[in-house]
Amino acid sequence: MARDRTDREDFAAPLRRLGLGLLAVCLVLVFLVWRIDSPRVEQVRARVVDRVVPSMDWVMTPVSATVDLLRDFQSYQRIVAQNQELRRELQQMKAWKEAALQLEQENARLLDLNQVRLDPKLTHVTGVVLADSGSPFRQSVLLNVGARDGIKDGWAAMDGIGLVGRISGIGQKTARVVLLTDTSSRIPVRIQPSGQAALVTGDNTAAPPIGFLENADRVRPGDRVVSAGDGGVFPAGLLIGQVAEDPNGRLRVRLAADYERLEFLRVLRNPGTETISDPGALIMPTGPGAPIADPAPAPTAVPGAEATPEVSSGADNG
Amino acid sequence: MADRVVLHRWMLRLAYVATALLVLFVQLLPLNTTAARWAGPDLVLALTFGFAVRRPEFLPALAVAGVMLLADLLLHRPPGLMALLVLIGTEALKARSRGLRDQNFAVEWMTVGAALLAIVIVQRVVLTVLMVPQTPLGLTLMQAVATLAAYPVVVLTAHLVFGLTKAHPAEIDIEGRRT
Repeated sequence: MARDRTDREDFAAPLRRLGLGLLAVCLVLVFLVWRIDSPRVEQVRARVVDRVVPSMDWVMTPVSATVDLLRDFQSYQRIVAQNQELRRELQQMKAWKEAALQLEQENARLLDLNQVRLDPKLTHVTGVVLADSGSPFRQSVLLNVGARDGIKDGWAAMDGIGLVGRISGIGQKTARVVLLTDTSSRIPVRIQPSGQAALVTGDNTAAPPIGFLENADRVRPGDRVVSAGDGGVFPAGLLIGQVAEDPNGRLRVRLAADYERLEFLRVLRNPGTETISDPGALIMPTGPGAPIADPAPAPTAVPGAEATPEVSSGADNG
Repeated sequence: MADRVVLHRWMLRLAYVATALLVLFVQLLPLNTTAARWAGPDLVLALTFGFAVRRPEFLPALAVAGVMLLADLLLHRPPGLMALLVLIGTEALKARSRGLRDQNFAVEWMTVGAALLAIVIVQRVVLTVLMVPQTPLGLTLMQAVATLAAYPVVVLTAHLVFGLTKAHPAEIDIEGRRT
């Protein structure tokens, strides 16, 4: 019996070790291929996510809804105070709304007088947040819109108010939005009203720092931060947030989008900005005035006209 | 009798995969989309190590590799690296599990801690050498410490829920071998 046992183990152990080795080699290969040809493996990743996450959706939605409900339930304790606060805010909002409407009308009239053509309005696709990144190191969410909805890499995602992130990684039914707080996020911005260009770099904190500022003296906390169209990736003028100063004196962006509750995100369709590639053609007079303008080239054009048939006939013979 | 043992074995294997998927699923729920200042424990890793130390025969290498590769893909980590390191770590722990069976819990905990630390260090070294952008060091260490702190809780829970106990030295498996 004892002998039998050792025989079996001798037989099984090398096979096991071989299988283990093969498995390890496979994993090494996956990692190396990812390192060498990252886009292709990222496509595979997007496809896996595309397959796995929407299939969990039918449980995910009720569970997150229940947890949100419980969180809301806690706020019932101070519902009276909240109600009064909301009423007061609503009153203020009504005044603002009136002012905004008047300004809008005035703006429309002035634009009409000046015959200004502004940027075309951006259209958007709205998606529901399916999942977050699931790890504390990555700040991203997964939307339920993807390639079949015409989503493209690099498009901007906003909630109702401010920019949230950009699309990075698309499956057939899902798309990943890398949030502005992610460490790999870099967004060119413009700080209004001074018009300074800067870069907002995510660093895994709730308020990403502002870097590469030309002149920090002209920027004050409270200034608006909007996206710059630089690089042609983002449409210009999307609200990102407000400048704030942290205790170390570093300028950061307090994001306008509500990162606590990302439920619906709109992905802005960005057809891309047209670029002017040719330097511009020579402006030649046309119509009846043309022969008067080039009398000199006319005689030389005659031998040229004779030469052309010879060349073409030669080509026919050959 | 033998049927029941086989069934029990497959149940526990299935329990590992199912629990790992459940943890991943909970992690993916979009409940908190703000940037966190602290990192919670990697429960899948703690569970895997708990199985490797306590019941290595219920933790097929293929299951570990599969679960970890899926976690890599879903959690946006470099695919394959963490899976490989965890596979090597669990195999090392499995090899030591027979010796650990007779030791008290503190020794088991320290061994798991050593494996965890080794994984973190090797992962950072590999990523540095290959110049891959890395996660902040503070958060990574915080997660490692949290994982280690969560290990007893995970093992206790697994003990209560699936009866994941250390094998008794006198236990004999269905082929008549000493486990």
